[in-house]
Amino acid sequence: MSEDPVASLSEVARTYGGVRVLDDVSLGFEPGVTAVVGPNGSGKSTLLRILVGSTEPTAGEVRYPGATGPKPIGYLPQRVPFRDGFTARETLAFYARLVDDDPDAALERVGLGDAGDRRVEALSGGMRRLLGIAQAVLGDPSLVVLDEPASGLDPGMRERAFRAAAERADGDTAVVVSSHALDLVDAHADRIVILSRGRVAAAGPLERLLEEHDAADATELYRAVTGAPGATAGDMDTAADDGEGGEESDDAEPDVHVTGVSDR
Amino acid sequence: MSGRLSGVATVFRRELATVVRTPGYGVLAVGLLVALGGLLAAGGGGATGFVPAVVDLLLPTEALVPLVAVVLGYRALLTDAASGELAVIRTYPVRVGEYVAGVLLARTVALVAVVGVPYAVIGVVVWLTAAPDTGIFATHSGVDSPLLYLRFLAFVLLLGAAYVSLAAAVSALAASRRSAIALGVLALVAGVLGGDLVLLRSLAAGASPTTVPVSIALAPNGAFRGLVFEHVIGVAFAPEGGFVATELAVGSLIGWTLLGVAVAGATLAFGRRVDAAIERVRAGIGD
Repeated sequence: MSEDPVASLSEVARTYGGVRVLDDVSLGFEPGVTAVVGPNGSGKSTLLRILVGSTEPTAGEVRYPGATGPKPIGYLPQRVPFRDGFTARETLAFYARLVDDDPDAALERVGLGDAGDRRVEALSGGMRRLLGIAQAVLGDPSLVVLDEPASGLDPGMRERAFRAAAERADGDTAVVVSSHALDLVDAHADRIVILSRGRVAAAGPLERLLEEHDAADATELYRAVTGAPGATAGDMDTAADDGEGGEESDDAEPDVHVTGVSDR
Repeated sequence: MSGRLSGVATVFRRELATVVRTPGYGVLAVGLLVALGGLLAAGGGGATGFVPAVVDLLLPTEALVPLVAVVLGYRALLTDAASGELAVIRTYPVRVGEYVAGVLLARTVALVAVVGVPYAVIGVVVWLTAAPDTGIFATHSGVDSPLLYLRFLAFVLLLGAAYVSLAAAVSALAASRRSAIALGVLALVAGVLGGDLVLLRSLAAGASPTTVPVSIALAPNGAFRGLVFEHVIGVAFAPEGGFVATELAVGSLIGWTLLGVAVAGATLAFGRRVDAAIERVRAGIGD
């Protein structure tokens, strides 16, 4: 696995209305899975938006030394933004045409092969999020950035979403995932970035940081670094970040078989 | 297909599908047809021929077509920006110019359908019902002709395209649906009334009336009106012309269209940088 960063932030800062939400952030994102965690309002979504270029930093520099190809970056925002009125297949087909990819294969990859003809607005929150992940990895980008991919998903789908993301992280691909799901961070992340009040409180390989802080898992590490209680499987993913609303409830799951999820 | 054309075509298909699946636009077309039919019935021109029908429709058209065009365009670029989907689209190999071109082309095709079809239906009705005979295809003076109505329809679509483009620029500048509506109404009022008010003010200030054919062409509504007088109404009743400088008027309508495209493209391309620059200034003042 290459250790060259796919993307890097250098002394990045961002203010909104004069209020500093991100300050002096310098990070390198190497191939593998990097989890970005932190309390609500700590700047996770802003950091990810700056990383993908959808928000301009007010200071600092973003570079992509290892992000190559026709679509170097794949991005799933915190709120899955697809237009109503289109089916899942039509939605992916629009993006797939831009990078000569196969929408049906992308649907299969995230277990939505049977839901291709459902309209986006008829999908559950979790299925929309899986559709968003399928979109983000179209075109085989070197940098995949997923903002809360497990938000609003049931335990099976949360695992599936993280696993789908982690499977993309090969020798050349960096997957950056923000999440409150620290159990999934434990299971899938190679590196972790802990944000607190817009600053990097800790960053590096997960194993190393666990050792340095004498923590048994990511939850203990999170508590040690931020002083806040870590999220558990029961309360994760319900909160908003950076002032944005949370996802809708996933209680009313439609009667569509999601491949590889329902059997877990 | 080359990469750029492919990007434009892909965005165009998606946008056109969105328009087709929006029932409100069909209602808009029916509403326009009813309004035009009502105006024609009230004015009585349609029973006489194409040129009298154009005379009846000219003034309402100057308000109705911009209104329909603004309705078609005021959310064209806002929808993706507000939902966050534009941020996703921009991770794909589609340039801002290609995206704007695709969206605007689709909205212009929608305009041709929503505005062009009702006007065409009115034209067919006039052709079938008007007396005396209007079936003579000629453009020389004193003769009514379907060709004159086709010219009118072409000018209507040029006017509409300019307003669709300007409305799209508004949609790129707006931060929310509410502000898009407010800016759209402002653009509509400024476009429909602004040019004439400026012209009247300049005449009152002592400008020579001989400058009117030039100055009237500068605003989209003035350019449209001048072209209709010059090439539709005037052909039959005042063949000496002189209502407007034709090249300037056509150039003005195309220019307004391109201005809208340019503003929309620049807003999407540089908006984030401008936003960050404003934040830097704020931070500097705060420090």
